[in-house]
Amino acid sequence: MNRYRWLALPIAAAALAVVPWFTSDTIVQYGINALLVATLAQAWNIIGGFSGYPSFGNSVFYGLGTYGTAIAMAQLHWSFGSGLVFGAVLGVACALLFGIPILRLRGPYFAIATLGLAAVMSAITATVEIAGKNIGLILPLFRGDTLFYELSLILLVAATGTVAWIARSRFGAGLVAIREDEDAAQVMGINTTTYKVAALTVAALFSALAGGIHAYWITFIDPASAFDPSLNVRMVIMTLFGGPGTVLGPVLGALILSAVSEVLASQATGVASLFYGIVIVAAVLLMPKGLLDLVQGFRDSGWRYFVDNVRRYRI
Amino acid sequence: MTEPLFEVRGLTKRFRGLTAVSNVTFRVAAREIVGLIGPNGAGKTTIISLISGTLVPTAGDIVFEGRHIERLPAYRRARLGIGRTFQVMKPFPGLSVLENVTVGALFGTGGGERNRTRAEERAREWLKFTGLERRMDQRADALGGPDRKRLEFAKALAMNPKLLLLDEVMAGLTHVEVDEVVELIKKIREKGVTILVIEHVMKAIRRLADRLLVLHHGQQIAEGRTDEVLRDPRVVEAYLGKRRQ
Ligand SMILES: Nc1ncnc2c1ncn2[C@@H]1O[C@H](COP(=O)(O)OP(=O)(O)OP(=O)(O)O)[C@@H](O)[C@H]1O
Ligand SMILES: [Mg+2]
Repeated sequence: MNRYRWLALPIAAAALAVVPWFTSDTIVQYGINALLVATLAQAWNIIGGFSGYPSFGNSVFYGLGTYGTAIAMAQLHWSFGSGLVFGAVLGVACALLFGIPILRLRGPYFAIATLGLAAVMSAITATVEIAGKNIGLILPLFRGDTLFYELSLILLVAATGTVAWIARSRFGAGLVAIREDEDAAQVMGINTTTYKVAALTVAALFSALAGGIHAYWITFIDPASAFDPSLNVRMVIMTLFGGPGTVLGPVLGALILSAVSEVLASQATGVASLFYGIVIVAAVLLMPKGLLDLVQGFRDSGWRYFVDNVRRYRI
Repeated sequence: MTEPLFEVRGLTKRFRGLTAVSNVTFRVAAREIVGLIGPNGAGKTTIISLISGTLVPTAGDIVFEGRHIERLPAYRRARLGIGRTFQVMKPFPGLSVLENVTVGALFGTGGGERNRTRAEERAREWLKFTGLERRMDQRADALGGPDRKRLEFAKALAMNPKLLLLDEVMAGLTHVEVDEVVELIKKIREKGVTILVIEHVMKAIRRLADRLLVLHHGQQIAEGRTDEVLRDPRVVEAYLGKRRQ
């Protein structure tokens, strides 16, 4: 059975790929959002889950991808493909430029610095003429939910493939060592600065591409939505919920939590966010290492898994 | 003495007002075992951190295989062949014992073994060598004290270092365990590794070290052959006397 396990992924991807031909528009639209957010969670997983750097700047890369694509298409009249590339270049350039100074900081200091970056970027964008100042930009209209759905799926598969490679590579081993103990990693020969910047850059690439696809799909963007810090919080929650530092955890976490909030949003919104909050708190208490660890742990020790977790991580 | 593998000249480290290491100079020949002893707070760990690159010296030279390394970042020194253990142990807590040691094999001297499967095989050998084989699949943070020491050791060894800096790897071990580690260190030297070892366990130091360097308040108060240094009245007064051995 184990021999065929690797087949599960292509089959799941293929099953997701044919969804638009069998379901309604609303489901496809929900699917685009869910796939893009899963890509964002997977990208966050690279810097937050593998390297252990809790980035709140990933929404900046997403925002730059959004704006890059929008400026290229709405202002410069480039094609969508060129727009995506332009957005990705902006995101990657930002990661390279700010990654080096910011990644010198550790733990909460790093988190705060990335939050600062997010605020600054949003403020700057709101003053730039070509970015439409604080009004935003309108992209050419293109009706093609199926295309956007497939593009989003391809991006998620690419991000997951990259993470699968990272998990088995020397590079990934270096990132995990940095997460577990950066000083020890360094004296063992790991160029920690290069590794961290590389991780942030790969995360930026996928986040920016997700932003670009979303911009063209939604056709209207403004600084508040493009640089929304709560989007970054969702990436973190989804990754932690599914299992940080794993290959499939962030995807499962994102897809499940997207579904939960979609169902809840159709009910009363106040109750919805309350329930969402309860789910998160319960997850953090009972399965702090995510869903995948829960599956493994439950198989090994049954209900005691929850008791053990509450004990072990008691504050 | 043959051409030294490495040498330290005028090494000084100040932390704000405190001079933790003051003008220390010594050489270590290839395949030698040199003991670094001295009372608590003498500056022993600081010297190892300066050599491994965890700390930057205030002044002085560190020459390894004829090359100045005092300005190189720690990871470059590791790639040149300098491995260390930490007195306050630094395992990768959430990883298995095997994964911990594999990191050493994947990186380390010359950039390590780039292939993960082969690095893992190498790590297994070091686990066998250090007697950790049966703990291989346990998480590092589930290990008991002595096994943690062994892990700290195995991680550094898997880097395949030319120079190994050991910071109190025997503290808290039983007599039997100390003997085991002494044998282990001797075996490592036989593999051609040069060793600088900080140790408070005098019995072990006597059996291991060819030469000793004694520190007191950051100053080098004696240096020479182990038996001679241990008879030196200044050493007895500053360090050994207080230990009532
Ligand atoms: N990062 C630091 N900042 C400030 N002072 C430090 C730092 N590290 C060490 N010191 C001080 O430098 C002195 C030497 O410390 P060091 O750890 O090198 O001693 P040691 O000889 O290893 O002692 P022990 O036998 O207790 O391990 C001590 O007074 C210590 O408090
Ligand atoms: Mg010390």
